[in-house]
Amino acid sequence: MSSEALFTTHDIGKVYGTNTVLQDINIRVWPGEIVGLIGENGAGKSTLLKIIAGVEEPSMGTMQMNGQNFRAGSMLNANESGIGMVFQEQSLINNLTVAQNIFLGREKQFSKGNFIIWSKMNAAARNVLNAMGLEDISEKAKVRDLSFAMRQMVEIAKVFDIVSAASNNHALILLDEPTTVLSDEEMVVLFDKIRQMKQRGNAIILISHRLQEVLEITDRIYVFKDGKLTAEVETQHADEAILYEKMVGRETNSEYFVSDRQTVPAQEAVLEVKDLSMFGSFKNVSFNLYKGEVLGLCGVEGSGKEDVCAVLCGDQAKTHGAIKVHQRKVDFKSPSDARDVGIISVPKNRREDGIIDILSLAENISVANYQKNAVYRLISNKNQRENAKHWVRSLGIRCSSVNQRIINLSGGNAQKVIFARVLDSECPILVLDHPTRGVDVGAKGDIYALIRSITEKGGSVLLMGDTLDESLGLSSRILVMKDGMICGEFDCPADNKPEQVDIVRLML
Amino acid sequence: MQFISGIGDELHIENTLPHQLRRSILTKQEDIWMELFRKRNRSSQTIAEEFVQKVENEARSNLIRVYAPITLLVGMTIFFSIYDSHFFSLKNILNILQQMAVPLILATGLSFVLLIGRIDLSVEGVMGFVGSFMALLILNDRNANDFGFWGVLIPIAIGIFYGLITGILHVKLRIASFIITFATGTIIKGIAILLYDSRAARVQEQWMTDWSMMSFLGIPLITWIAVAFFLVCSIILNYTAFGRAVYAIGDNEAAARASGINVERVTVKAFVISSTAAALAGFVALIRLKFGQASLGDDQMFPCITALVIGGASLSGGRGGTLQTIVGILIYMELLNFLTIIGVDANYKKALQGIIIIVAVALTLSRGRKTIAK
Amino acid sequence: MRGFSMWKRDGDFSLNELFKRNSFILSAVLIIGVFSVINPKFLSLYSLQNMSLEIAPLLPMACGIGFVLYSGSIDLSIGAVASVACVIAGTYVTETGHWIILYMVLFGVVAGLINGSLIAVLKLPSFIVTLCAQSVWRAMAIIISKGSSNTIPIKQRWIVNWATDKFLDFPVILWISLALVILCLVIERKTELGKSIFAIGANEKAARLAGVHTIKIKILTFVLCSTGAAIGGIMYAYKLKSSVPTIGDNLYMMAISSVALGGTLFSGGSGSVLRTLIGVISVMAISSGMNMAGVNPLWKDVVFGCVLIAAVAINSEKGGRSLIIK
Repeated sequence: MSSEALFTTHDIGKVYGTNTVLQDINIRVWPGEIVGLIGENGAGKSTLLKIIAGVEEPSMGTMQMNGQNFRAGSMLNANESGIGMVFQEQSLINNLTVAQNIFLGREKQFSKGNFIIWSKMNAAARNVLNAMGLEDISEKAKVRDLSFAMRQMVEIAKVFDIVSAASNNHALILLDEPTTVLSDEEMVVLFDKIRQMKQRGNAIILISHRLQEVLEITDRIYVFKDGKLTAEVETQHADEAILYEKMVGRETNSEYFVSDRQTVPAQEAVLEVKDLSMFGSFKNVSFNLYKGEVLGLCGVEGSGKEDVCAVLCGDQAKTHGAIKVHQRKVDFKSPSDARDVGIISVPKNRREDGIIDILSLAENISVANYQKNAVYRLISNKNQRENAKHWVRSLGIRCSSVNQRIINLSGGNAQKVIFARVLDSECPILVLDHPTRGVDVGAKGDIYALIRSITEKGGSVLLMGDTLDESLGLSSRILVMKDGMICGEFDCPADNKPEQVDIVRLML
Repeated sequence: MQFISGIGDELHIENTLPHQLRRSILTKQEDIWMELFRKRNRSSQTIAEEFVQKVENEARSNLIRVYAPITLLVGMTIFFSIYDSHFFSLKNILNILQQMAVPLILATGLSFVLLIGRIDLSVEGVMGFVGSFMALLILNDRNANDFGFWGVLIPIAIGIFYGLITGILHVKLRIASFIITFATGTIIKGIAILLYDSRAARVQEQWMTDWSMMSFLGIPLITWIAVAFFLVCSIILNYTAFGRAVYAIGDNEAAARASGINVERVTVKAFVISSTAAALAGFVALIRLKFGQASLGDDQMFPCITALVIGGASLSGGRGGTLQTIVGILIYMELLNFLTIIGVDANYKKALQGIIIIVAVALTLSRGRKTIAK
Repeated sequence: MRGFSMWKRDGDFSLNELFKRNSFILSAVLIIGVFSVINPKFLSLYSLQNMSLEIAPLLPMACGIGFVLYSGSIDLSIGAVASVACVIAGTYVTETGHWIILYMVLFGVVAGLINGSLIAVLKLPSFIVTLCAQSVWRAMAIIISKGSSNTIPIKQRWIVNWATDKFLDFPVILWISLALVILCLVIERKTELGKSIFAIGANEKAARLAGVHTIKIKILTFVLCSTGAAIGGIMYAYKLKSSVPTIGDNLYMMAISSVALGGTLFSGGSGSVLRTLIGVISVMAISSGMNMAGVNPLWKDVVFGCVLIAAVAINSEKGGRSLIIK
C-alpha cells in the first residue's frame, strides 16, 4: 500500500431540515484496500456513500480524491474523478441488453456518424465482462432475463468500466449491501471479483449487515452509530463480539423512552397471526399481540419484517396463513378493509405515503375517519376543524392554523399529524413503521410519551423501531426476524431489558 | 431422479443435495409440478430461493407476453383464410397492402412517443393540415396554385416543425402530453378547417394520379413509401444512441437521466418523429384520395394505437418497437379487412375497435403489485 | 347564509385561494373584457338568456369531469356519452315521455360503472379506457340515430318545451344546472365521497394507506362524470328539440377548457365546482364574444386550443423538478 491515501473525507456532515444524519465523518481509503462500513439501520452509512458517489450533497465538509479536492454533487462528476457506486435498487434498464446497459450514455465510441455498430459495442462489452471474470453472462442478453445476482454483477462491471477508464485502475468503488440478493456461492464469486479489483490497485468501500462477510473480505472497518463514527478497526484484529459492542453502545436511556410508563400487557390477544407467509419474502410467521402491548419487530433489510407489517395493515396480500382480530378470523384485501377491522398504520415514508401535502392539516387528520365529524352523512367542516384543533392541542403540534397546508410543517410536526390521524381513526391496533424517522429530538420524546398513553388506554402497537435502542426501550416484547422467519423472542419488561448485543447477534 | 420420488416425500431428501444442484434442477421443473410440490411441503424453499423463483416466474410470463401477438397473427390469418376463401386471395392481399400504408406510417411515428410513455393526440390534426394545405398548393381545382415540388415540401416541413413546437411546449411548460397534444392537434386542425370553409379540393397533378396507381412487384407505391419510412425508423430505433435512449427513458426515466441522457431533448425528438410521420401520412393519404380536406386525418390515430397495443407496446413506455409495430398493424388490418368482407357495418366496426383494444390492453398490461393507473 | 361560511375557509376554497390560480384571473379578465369592452349589448336580458341556454347543458358535463380530474384521472368519453344520451332522448322522448330522462341518467351511471370498473379494478390507464369508450359510444350514437339528426315534430314539441321555458326570466334547464352545481358543491365539500376524491388525487398511496377505499371511490368518480355527461346530452336534446348524434364531438374540448380556465389543476387533488362554473361562463363568453365580433365560426377550434394551452400553462404546477410529467 502506498502512503498516499486515495480518498479522504474531512468533517463531512449531512443535515435534512433540523435532522442531523451525519456528523464529523473523517475517513481515509488507500488504494488496494477494502473498507467496510457497518452500523445499525439509519446510522448514516448509506447516506455517506451517497454523498461520496455524488447522489447527495454534503451539508458540510470536504472530500479529496487522488489528492485533489473534489465536491461531488453530481454522479457524472464523481464518475469522472474515478468514483463509482453500485446501488441497492437496480439502476439498470430492463429492456436493454447487458452491453447496451454497460455503455448507456457512452455509445459515441462505437458509432460511425450517428449509427452504432453493435458488433463493436458487443465486443467491448465482452471484454469488460471477461475482465471481471463474468464469462457466463452473455453481453447480448436482455437485463430483464437475468437473475438478480447476475444483474448485480453487470452493474458492478458497468461501474467498474466507467471509473477505471477515468482513473487508471485507482478507482474507488462503492457497494451498498451487494450480497442481499446473492446465494452463498454467488457471494463467493462476488468476493473473488472484489479481490481481483483490489489487487489491481482499486479501493472498495462496502456496506453490509452480514458481519461474517465483512470480516472475511475487508481490510479495515468503520463503525457508525447515530450519524457518527464510533470506531475504526483493523479487520485482522476484530471479531464479531468486538464489532457488536462498538455498533450498539451501552446506554439504553430509560428516561428517554419513558420506560416507567411501559404498560404490562393484558392476557387478551387482540391480534393472532398464524403461519403467515408471503412467497418470496417471509414464511410461517406466527405470533400474538396482546392488549396494551408494544411488540417490537426487529430485523435487518431483507428479513421480511417490513412485508409482515405491510400484510397486516392490508397494503400487500399474503400467500398463506390466518389472521384473527379480537378472536375473529379476518381477511382483508386493502388498507380500507384493515381499518374497518381495526388495524391502521403509520407509514415509513412520511413524504410519499403519509402526508397528503396539498390538503390542509384538518383534512389530513380526518382522512382516516370522515364519519366521525358527520351529521347525517354530511361532514361538518366546522367539526373537522374543531377536531383538528383538539389534536393540535393535545399532541402539541406546532402550526399556524389547522387550515394550513401540511407541506410546510417540520418533520416532527408532520409526524404528529399522522399520529393524530391514526388516533382519530379509533383503531385498537396500530402498526408503527419507523415512527420517529426524520423527527427531531424534542418531537421524538413527545411521540414516545404518546405511544405510552396509547397503550395505557388499551391500544396495542406493533412497532418497527427506527433504531434497536428505540425498539428495546419502547417494547414490552421483541420478535427478531431473519431471512424471512422469526428466529427469536425476547421479553422486555421495563426494569429488565435484554442486552442489545444479544438481539443483534440473532438479527445478523 | 432420486431426489423427487413422490409428492408426499419428506423434504429432507431434497435438503441434502448441494445447493447449486438443487437450484438448477428445480428451475427446470414444470411450474405446476413445483406448485404441487411446494404446497405439500411448506418448508421446501428458503426465502432467498422463493424470491429467485418469483423473478423467474415474472421472466416467464414476460416471454409469453412477447410471443403472444405473433402467435395471434398467425392464428388469425389461418382462421380467416379458412372461414372465407376470399380472404387470402391476391386481390384481397393487395387491398390490405394498400390500406396498410397510412396506418403503418402513423404507427411507426407514434411508437417512438409511446415508448417514452407519452401520447401524441395531434397526429390527426397534422395529417389533415398537411394533406389539405398541400392540395391547395399544388395543381388543384380550387385555385390557380401550381407550386409543384415546393407545394409538397412546404406543408410537410410545417408538419415536422409543428411536432417540434408541440414537443417543446410539453417539455418546457411541463404540461401533460395528453393535454398539450390534444390542444395543439385541435389548433392545427382548426387551421386546416379555416383553409377549407367550402368544399374539398381535388388534386389535378398528373404525377399524383400516376403514383396512386403505380406499383412495384405488385405492391402499391404508397405501401413502399410506408415500408421505407418504417425501415428508416427501425434503423434509428435499433442502431442509434437515440434509439437506446428512447427505450431507456421508457423503462426507467430516473436511471436514464442518471446515465447522462438528456431526457428533454430525446422527448422533443420523439414528438418530431411522430409529427413527421403524420405529415408523411397526410401526403400519402392525399395521393390515395386525390382530395384534400381537413378531415383527412380523422379516425386515423385510434386504429394505430390499437395496433400498437395489440402488437405488444405498452402505454406506460419501455415496451414496443419495430416488430411490435408491424405485427400489430398486420393484426389490425387483417381484422378490419375480415370484418369488411363479412359485411360488418362501418359504425359497428368502430364500436368493435374500442372493445377489442380494451381487451388487448387488459391482457397485455404488465401490472406491478401496486400499480397506480391514472 | 350557512353555505357562505362553508366556502370561506377550507383549503382551495377561500376567496384569496381562488385568486391564487392565474387562470382564474384570466377568466375574470376575459369575462369582464367581453362583457364591457367588446359589446355592451352583451348585458341585455335577451343575450344573457341565450347565453344561459348555452351554459346550461355544458355545466353538468364540466362538473362531472371535474370530479375525475380531482382524482387525477381523465375521461375522454364524455362527449360521446352525451351524444348517445342526446340521440336516445331526442328520438324517444315522444314515445316514452319524461321517463326517458330517468333512463338516460341510468345510462350515464352504467357507462360510468363500466369505465370505473375497468380503471379501478383492472388497473387499466384511464386514458386508454375512456378513449375506447369514446369510440364505442360515438359509433353507437351514429348507429342508433342512423346517421342523422331527428327533429321532434312541431306538434309534439310540447313535451320538451318546458325545458326552455322561462322561470324567473331564465330557462328552466339553467336552474336545473345550477341546482346540480350546488349538489356537486355539497358532494365536494361535505361528503366522504368528495373528500376522498381529493385525497386520492393529491396522494393516492397515502390516501389508500390511511384507509380510503380507493377502488370504490374511483368507480364512483367515473359514475359521476358519465352521469353528468348524460344529463348534458339530455339537456341538449331538450334545448335543440332534436337528437344530434354529433353533438358531443366538441364537448370534451369545451368541458376541459372550462375546467382549465377556472383554475383547476390537471394534476389532481384540488379544484372546485365554483371554479368550473366561472370557467364555463368564460368559455361561453369567448364563444359568444366571437359571434358578436363577427369572427368566422371556423376559428373556434384554433381559439379554444390556444386558450387551453394558455390556461394550463399559466397555472403554477405543484410538482417540482422531481415530478415526472408524462
